Amino acid sequence: MTLTYMASPVPDRELKKGSAELMILSLLEDQPRHGYDIAQLIDLRSRGAIRFNVASLYPLLYRLEKRNWISGRWVEKPGQRRRRYYRLTASGKNVLSKQRAGWRDFVEAINLITGIQHA
Amino acid sequence: MPDFKIDIRARLAELGLPPTRETEIVEELSQHLEEEYERALSSGTSEDEARQQALEQLNTPDLLGREPKHVERRASQEPIASGEQRSVNFFANLMQDIRYALRMLAKNPAFTAIAIIALALGIGANSAIFSVVDAVLLRPLPFKHPEQLVMVWENAAHMGFPKNTPAPANFLDWQKQSRSFTGMAAMAERSFNLTGVGEPERLDGRRVSANLLDLLGVPALLGRTFVPDDDRPGTHVVVLSYSLWQRRFGSDPAVIGRALALNGESYTVVGVMPHFVQLPGFANRKDQLWVPIAFPPDEAAQRGNHFLEVIARLKSGVTLKQAQAEMETIAARLAGQYPDYNTRIGAVVVPLHEQVVGDMKPALLVLLGAVAFVLLISCANVANLLLARAAVRQKEIALRLAIGASRARLARQFLTESVLLALFGAGLGLLLALAGIRILKTFIPSTISQVDAINIDARVLIFTALVALVTGIAFGLAPAIHGSHLNLNDTLKEGGRDSSGGHKGNRARGMLVIGEVAVSFVLLVGAGLLINSFLHLRNLDPGFRVDHLLTMKVDLSEVKYPDRDRRAAFFDEVIRRVRALPGVQSAAVAGNLPLTYNGDSMSISIEGVPDPPPDQQPDVIYRVIGPDYFGTMGIPVIRGRDFADQDKADAKDAVVISEKTAQHFWPGQDPIGKRLKSGSIKSNTPWREVIGIVKDVRQNDLIAPPKMEMYFNYHQLKDLAANALVIRTSIDPMSLAASVRNVIWSVDKDQTVADIETMDDIVAEAVARQRFSMLLLGLFAVLALLLASVGIYGVMSYSVAQRTREIGIRIALGARRADVLQMTVKQGLKLVGAGMVLGLLAAFVLTRVMASLLFGISATDPITFIGISLVLLAVAILASYIPALRATKVDPIIALRAQ
Repeated sequence: MTLTYMASPVPDRELKKGSAELMILSLLEDQPRHGYDIAQLIDLRSRGAIRFNVASLYPLLYRLEKRNWISGRWVEKPGQRRRRYYRLTASGKNVLSKQRAGWRDFVEAINLITGIQHA
Repeated sequence: MPDFKIDIRARLAELGLPPTRETEIVEELSQHLEEEYERALSSGTSEDEARQQALEQLNTPDLLGREPKHVERRASQEPIASGEQRSVNFFANLMQDIRYALRMLAKNPAFTAIAIIALALGIGANSAIFSVVDAVLLRPLPFKHPEQLVMVWENAAHMGFPKNTPAPANFLDWQKQSRSFTGMAAMAERSFNLTGVGEPERLDGRRVSANLLDLLGVPALLGRTFVPDDDRPGTHVVVLSYSLWQRRFGSDPAVIGRALALNGESYTVVGVMPHFVQLPGFANRKDQLWVPIAFPPDEAAQRGNHFLEVIARLKSGVTLKQAQAEMETIAARLAGQYPDYNTRIGAVVVPLHEQVVGDMKPALLVLLGAVAFVLLISCANVANLLLARAAVRQKEIALRLAIGASRARLARQFLTESVLLALFGAGLGLLLALAGIRILKTFIPSTISQVDAINIDARVLIFTALVALVTGIAFGLAPAIHGSHLNLNDTLKEGGRDSSGGHKGNRARGMLVIGEVAVSFVLLVGAGLLINSFLHLRNLDPGFRVDHLLTMKVDLSEVKYPDRDRRAAFFDEVIRRVRALPGVQSAAVAGNLPLTYNGDSMSISIEGVPDPPPDQQPDVIYRVIGPDYFGTMGIPVIRGRDFADQDKADAKDAVVISEKTAQHFWPGQDPIGKRLKSGSIKSNTPWREVIGIVKDVRQNDLIAPPKMEMYFNYHQLKDLAANALVIRTSIDPMSLAASVRNVIWSVDKDQTVADIETMDDIVAEAVARQRFSMLLLGLFAVLALLLASVGIYGVMSYSVAQRTREIGIRIALGARRADVLQMTVKQGLKLVGAGMVLGLLAAFVLTRVMASLLFGISATDPITFIGISLVLLAVAILASYIPALRATKVDPIIALRAQ
């Protein structure tokens, strides 16, 4: 199954939005990353099942930044052009742990109902 | 590496982000795309495909454009490139455009001021003239259902009176027999001497049918209007006008029921009319009071005495045509019944509005056209300024285009600027119009009764706003189109130098100058024609000497002076005493003064000549005068003599006739000693001997050719009274006014003396309408010329500044200054020449609409056309000479180094 946001039908849009937020926050938990890095990691870790493109990833990043869950800043490294790195804020950490717990409960509940065994 | 920034920007455009924020986003996203691209390349994808794949990342149609909207704040400062717009953003964009435009205008105060002044002149002139046109032509008359009101005239076209005042008996028959009208009412001019309340005063008023005021649908402000019972001889009631009530009775409501002494008889005041009410009609004067017409039996039977004005109201559903047809049938029936009087007398029904404003219409429409032209020139000038500025702003425009602003958006920005300019211009223009209207009102002939209604009201404001909007779009369009079609490549190649705006810009400016010149030419020709025709009018020999003549009205009361002897005694004594005053050369009694009264006419019969059939009996206008009238007026006596003091009631009945009368009745003979009488041979009027022939006088107006006239001596008339004095002076006539009035009061202390004015004033009043159109059109033409010359000057200056380098090279290569001068002036004249040819063609067509305003010259008068061409040419040469002179002063070294 490949989830691409560009073709998503309306009903599971909110669900995806929530899951996308969770994914991004998780990826930023251990270290700051720039947008391309985030997109690559999602692609990689989902083994290509979930892909963000520019038009969906960045608006999401800006929204998270606006909510003050992550914060972005331009970082210049020697020999490289400057890039914008996003890191998790304190309130972002809070949200992440809550969402993570919520998500786990949700997935378990779904599994119970659908009878899918936890891998 | 492909540049993804433009694509990203295009998608962000509608967000209207603050520029720095937008730049950051573009940078971040383009980095992302670049990395996608490189990754694709490294996995062996072709460059094209890699680029395509990267771009697809942007292709969630509106996500990028929509999503960040909730996140990002809109730009609140300097807008840079705004690209595609959507209607949802229309208002926001508009506000942004307005803010930007205001900043641009504030940045160039000189440009802004000039543009606003030019527009204010154009728009102000339009508002002022529109307020006049609106009040005089467009607004309905202040009566109930004014569109149903008509005036009915006798049609005696075969005698030169297509709209003649009806006779009482005819009116009464019309009233009885017609079915097309809900009512028909008559009016007749009458003057009243008001005595017993302060100074005696002569008041203009009218006798009116009792149903007139109801017919018009105007209720009284105080008391009542007339009731049918008032319309009986002997009923002495009066309705006052608002102004008389205010002026003489201090707006006292208790005036109702009060008795007034009018012409020596007692009248009871029954009502006061509201202040706007002026009865329409031929009378070029303002009524101060009205009395019932109450025809006495002898008057009611008259068919040969034509002095009424008749107003009627069409029944609803009856057309003008039907009413006209019915009236013609009735007139034909009356002609059959009363062949002596009514043969070939028809009837004509004219809408009241047409009757009231008809004469003013052509002049006002021409003026409206003229101000529209002035505005057109203003627009062209401002468009020119904007075009020149657009050229300077090319760098800015190119930059905005480069970073993604759409051309449509840029055009809109330009239009916003020009409409704002126009609105500011309209604001200032309205102030000008307010002042202008105040001045206009003093020039408007007093015969236009709607003068008081001329004002800046909601209608004029709406008109002005519309004009401003249309104007703004009109003059903003050229720069907007031109600016937004800028070729990016060329501009960038020109290295960012403030450049010319290219060939196209020059052509646009050239076209505007050609247009300006053409329009000014038309206006100048129009004004020239009017001025020329006015001069013709003023130089016209009216048939008497206008200068050094003092005139006044002295209406004798019918109660105090009931018969000829008493009237004659009064005037004889007054004349005797006036002649004795120092500074008086001669003095005479007159009936009505030339140019103030059309005159009454009668048919006459010649001794020894059988009466012609009734419809071929020529009418001769008669005037009542006293001895030495011709001498005093300066009317040359061609043969025979003037009336003398000894031509009294007991002397032989005499008559003096005009040249035209003599030629008509006695062609090739000497009329002196011949006899004529009024009416037919059989009538029992006395024979009168022709004692003199005088030159024709333009009695009615200066334009119409003189009609046949004859003069009676008031001493020899039982029932026709003289009521004016003419005094020829050797000093300033007005300086004698007070002493003459005192002389009159020394004879009768209650006698009213009115309308003291010089003959010069009367003549001026007679041409007031022509002077009004001439002055205004002249003013507008001068304004147009001024604006056009500023336009020519501007374009030439600009062109010289632009060609500095070329001129420098020419001079460096040995061109003489005279050559440069000639070359530059020639360039200007080429434009002017083209404009003049165009203007000439337009003027030939357009001035034809002025034909009815012209006198003594044709609408294509060659002298005017040639004269105006020369004036315009001279101004054009001057306007391009000054910049040309500057061109010759170009220092080749500096000019070349500047590049």
